[in-house]
Amino acid sequence: MARSSVQSTIVFEVLRRLTTAAGITIILSVVAVIVSAVVAGPFTLVNAIVTGGMWALLAVGLSLVFGVMNIPNFAHGEFFMVGTLVSYLVFTPLHKYLRQNPSSVLSTVAPFAGIFAALLVGALLGVVVEKLIFFQLRRRSREQWVMNSFLLTVGLSVVMINGHQLLWGTNFKGIPRYWDVKPIDLFGVNISMDRAVALGLAVVTIAIFWFFLMRTRTGRAIRAVAQDETGAQMVGIDLNRIQVLTMALSSALAAMAGASLLFMFPSYPTVGLKPLYVAWYVVILVGLGNVAGATIGGFLVALLQTLTSYFIGVGWEDVVPTALIILILLFKPSGLFGSEVKGVWEQ
Amino acid sequence: MTAILEAKDIVKRFGGLVAVNRVSLTVNEGEIFGLIGPNGAGKTTFLNSIAGTFKPNAGVVRFLGRETTGFRSDVMCKLGMSRTFQISQPFPKLTALENVMVSAVFGNERGAVRDPEAWSRQMLDFVEFPMPPDTRADNLNTVQLKRLDLARALASKPKLLLLDELAAGLTTGELDDLMAIIRKIRDSGVTIVMVEHIMRVIMGLCDRIVVIHYGEKIAEGTPEEVAHDPKVAEAYLGEKYIL
Amino acid sequence: MQKTETVSARAGRLGNGLLSILNALGITPLGLALIILLAILPFIPPFDREDLLRWLVGAALIAAQAIAFDFTTGYINVVNFGFAAFLGFGAYTSALLAVDFGISPWIGMFVGALASGGLGFFTGVLTLRLRGIFAAVMAWFVGLALLGLARNLVDITRGPMGLSVPTFLETASNRPYFYIILVMLLITYLVLRWITSSHIGLAFKAIGQNIEAARASGVNPTFYRVFNFTVQCAFAGWLGGFYAHYYGILTPQLMHTSHTVEVLAIAYVGGRGSIWGGAFIAFPFIFFIEWLRSSLTSLPGLHLVIYGLLLILVMIFYPGGVAQFYYWIADRVGKARRGSAEQSG
Ligand SMILES: Nc1ncnc2c1ncn2[C@@H]1O[C@H](COP(=O)(O)OP(=O)(O)O)[C@@H](O)[C@H]1O
Ligand SMILES: [Mg+2]
Repeated sequence: MARSSVQSTIVFEVLRRLTTAAGITIILSVVAVIVSAVVAGPFTLVNAIVTGGMWALLAVGLSLVFGVMNIPNFAHGEFFMVGTLVSYLVFTPLHKYLRQNPSSVLSTVAPFAGIFAALLVGALLGVVVEKLIFFQLRRRSREQWVMNSFLLTVGLSVVMINGHQLLWGTNFKGIPRYWDVKPIDLFGVNISMDRAVALGLAVVTIAIFWFFLMRTRTGRAIRAVAQDETGAQMVGIDLNRIQVLTMALSSALAAMAGASLLFMFPSYPTVGLKPLYVAWYVVILVGLGNVAGATIGGFLVALLQTLTSYFIGVGWEDVVPTALIILILLFKPSGLFGSEVKGVWEQ
Repeated sequence: MTAILEAKDIVKRFGGLVAVNRVSLTVNEGEIFGLIGPNGAGKTTFLNSIAGTFKPNAGVVRFLGRETTGFRSDVMCKLGMSRTFQISQPFPKLTALENVMVSAVFGNERGAVRDPEAWSRQMLDFVEFPMPPDTRADNLNTVQLKRLDLARALASKPKLLLLDELAAGLTTGELDDLMAIIRKIRDSGVTIVMVEHIMRVIMGLCDRIVVIHYGEKIAEGTPEEVAHDPKVAEAYLGEKYIL
Repeated sequence: MQKTETVSARAGRLGNGLLSILNALGITPLGLALIILLAILPFIPPFDREDLLRWLVGAALIAAQAIAFDFTTGYINVVNFGFAAFLGFGAYTSALLAVDFGISPWIGMFVGALASGGLGFFTGVLTLRLRGIFAAVMAWFVGLALLGLARNLVDITRGPMGLSVPTFLETASNRPYFYIILVMLLITYLVLRWITSSHIGLAFKAIGQNIEAARASGVNPTFYRVFNFTVQCAFAGWLGGFYAHYYGILTPQLMHTSHTVEVLAIAYVGGRGSIWGGAFIAFPFIFFIEWLRSSLTSLPGLHLVIYGLLLILVMIFYPGGVAQFYYWIADRVGKARRGSAEQSG
C-alpha cells in the first residue's frame, strides 16, 4: 500500500517534470531527432550535432558574460569572426609549407595550431576589450548599465566588422578542410575528420569548462559574482580579476568555435552575424545566465535549424527559430529552463 | 467611523518564504494607522500587496468600499491610494518639480488637478522641500529624496497615503518637522498608514497600531495597549527598539 | 515721432508673437536659421550639384529616422533594435502597392506607415512584459524575422535581386526630392516633439526612468509603451515609403541590423532624449562619412569604423552627446549674459 503510493508519487513527479516547458521541449527534440534521422538521413543529424556543439560554446560564453558582468554582448559573433580569421592566417601558410615539405606530424599539428592561436588571440582580445571599454564605462557610470554596455558592444561590433574589412577585405578567406584524411565511418555514416574534431573539441571544452566552473576555486568565484556581486566582494573576491577572466574566457570560447568551424564558415567581415543570432536564440530560449541550459540549447537550436532548412527550405533556418522564440518569450519570458537570474528583470 | 481600507487574511509568499501570513486589518477614515515590527517582518511586503505592486497569494483587499484585490498600482493610485517607498524611487533625470508633476497629472482622474504645475509647486512647499524645484533628482540626498517622494505621493490627491519608513535616518529636529507635516496631511483629510521604527514618531502620531512579526499579526490596539503587550516585548527582545 | 514708435512697437509685438509661436512648436531661433539654411542650401554651390544633393537627401532621411529613433530610446528607454526592419516593412508595403496595384506612392507611403505602425503595436505588446534589454532583443528578433521573410518570399519581394519601384516624380533631379524629405523631416520633428513635450512625454520619461515609481504615480506603463512603439514604427514606415520611391530599388538589405546601428549611432551621438540632437548632427556626419567614402575608396569600411568608435567614445566619455554640449554652452552663455546685465544694471 505504502509502496504503491510512493511509486505513484514518483510517477506523478516524473509526469509533472515532463509536462514543464523544459520537459516538453526535450521530448519534442528527441522525437525530432528520431524523425530526422529516419527521414532526412543520419548525415543531417550529424551536421546538427556538430554545429550544435559550436553553438553551445558560443551560447555558454554569451550567457557567462551576461551572468557575471551583466553585459548583453552584441559583439559576441565578432569574436567568432576573429577566431576564423586567426586560424585562417595561421593555418594557410602552414598548409602551403606542408605541401612542399610533407610531414605527418606537422599536418596533424597544423590545424590545432590554428585553433589554439585563435583561442589565445580571442582571450587576449577579450582582456583588451574589458580593460579598454567596459572597465572605462564601469568606472564612470553604472547607471543603466545593461543597456549602456549593450550599446558599447554594438559599437565594438561595428568596429571589429569593419576593421576586418579595412585590413583584410571582404573576400572569403576559407579552407576546404583542415585534414586531408579519409572520412570516419560511423554506423555507415561518413563523417569528415573536420566535423569529428570539431565535435570532439566542443565536447571536451565544455567538459573542462564545466569542471572549471564547478570544481575550481576561480570557477566558484565566478559563479559567486554571478549570483551576488556585493556578497562576492565581501568574501574577498577580486571583482576586477573575475571580470577580466570572464571576458577572456567567453571570447576565447567564441574564437575557438569560429576556428573549429573554419571549413564551414570561411572568414569574412560579417561571418559573426549568424553565430551571434544563434547564440542569442539559445540564450533567450533557455534563459539568460543559465550556463547549463545554454549547452543543451545549443544543440536544440542547431537541430531546429537543420530540420527547418531540410523540410522547409534553405534560407528559412533563421526565420523559423526566430518566430518560435518570439512565441516562447511571449508565454514564458524567463526562457524555457529559466530561472530568474540577477539582472534579467531589472532595468 | 467608516473603514477606508479593509485587508483580510492577506498572504504573500516568495518561493518557500511566507513573507506575509494571513494578516487582517481595518483602517478607519481620518486616522493615522501604524504598522510596526522588526526588520524583515513583512511590513513592506504587506504594503506592496495592498497597493498593487504585486498580487497577494491569498486574501481580500477592500478600498473605499470596493474590492480591489490584485489591482495594478497605477489603478490603485488613480482610485486614491498612494504610497512612498522605503528606498525613495525618484525619476533621476527629471527635476523635483517634474517628479511631482508625474503624479499630479497621472495619479488621478483627468481634470482632478487643474494646473498640475502650480499644484506640484504647492505640494513641494507643503512638504517643505528644501531645494529649488528645478533641481534634478539625481542631485538630491536621501533626506531630500524622501521629502520629494512624499510630495509626489501627495500630488495625486490621495484619500489614503501609505508611508514606508519615512522617518528613517532623520535627526531629531527633522523628525519634529516631519511629524508636523504628517499631522498637517491628516488634518487635510487624508488617512495615513505608516510603517515606522522610531518610537517617538509612532507614539506621537498613531491612533492605532498593528504589530507584525515573522509575517503574522501579533498585536493590535492603541499605542499604549500595544506597548504593554507582553507578546510585543518578546518579539522585540534583542532588538534595539524596545517599547 | 509717436507714429514711428507705434510702428516699431507693432513690429516688436509681431516679432514676439512669431517667437512665441516658434517656441510653442519647439523651434528656437537658431533652429529656424538652420531650417532656412537647409531650405536654400540646394541653390548654393557646391550643394546644387546632383551628387551633393543626393547626400543631402540621404542625410535628411537619416536625420528624420534619428528623431523617430530617439522618440523611443531617449524617452521610454527601450532600444528598438529592429528599427530598420520596420522602415523596410513600410517601404515594401508602399512599393508593393505601387508595383502590384498601381497605387500612388503618395498614398502608399501612408498605408506603409499604417502597416508599420500596426506591426509596431504588435511588437510593443510582445515586448511589454520584458524589460530594457530584453525588449530590445525581442524587437531585434522581430526585425530579423521580417528580414528573413523579405529575403525568402522571393515571389513577392524578388528577394536579394531587388524590387524596382516607381518613383514619386518623373524627374531625374534630386532637388524636388530634397524638399519632399525636408518637409517630412520637419513634420516628424514637429509631431514627435509636440508629443514629447506634452504630458505624454512626461509619462514616457517616467516609465523610462523608474517604472515602479511611474506605476505608483498612476502612469500605466503598458499603454504608454505600446503607444510609443506604435508611433515610432509608423514614422519609420512612412520614411521607408520615401526611401522606396526615392531610390527606386528595394532589397532586403535595407532591413539589416547594420542600418539600425547607423541610425542608433547618430541618435546617440546627437544626444539621447533631445529629439533634435540626432537630426542636427546627421547632416555634417553623413557629409563627412560620404566624403570619406568617396575620397578614400581604397579603405572600404573606414567610415563605419569611425561610426563605431564614435559611438563607443560618446557612450563612455560624454553620454549626453551633442545635445548636452549645446545645453551646457547655452547655460554658460545665459549665465554670462545675466552676469553682465547685473553689472550694468
Ligand atoms: N521581492 C522579494 N523576493 C524575495 N523575498 C522578498 C522580497 N521582498 C521581501 N522579501 C522577503 O520577505 C520578508 C519580508 O520583507 P519586508 O516586507 O521587506 O520586511 P520589512 O519591511 O518588515 O522589513 C523578508 O524576509 C524579505 O527578505
Ligand atoms: Mg520594509
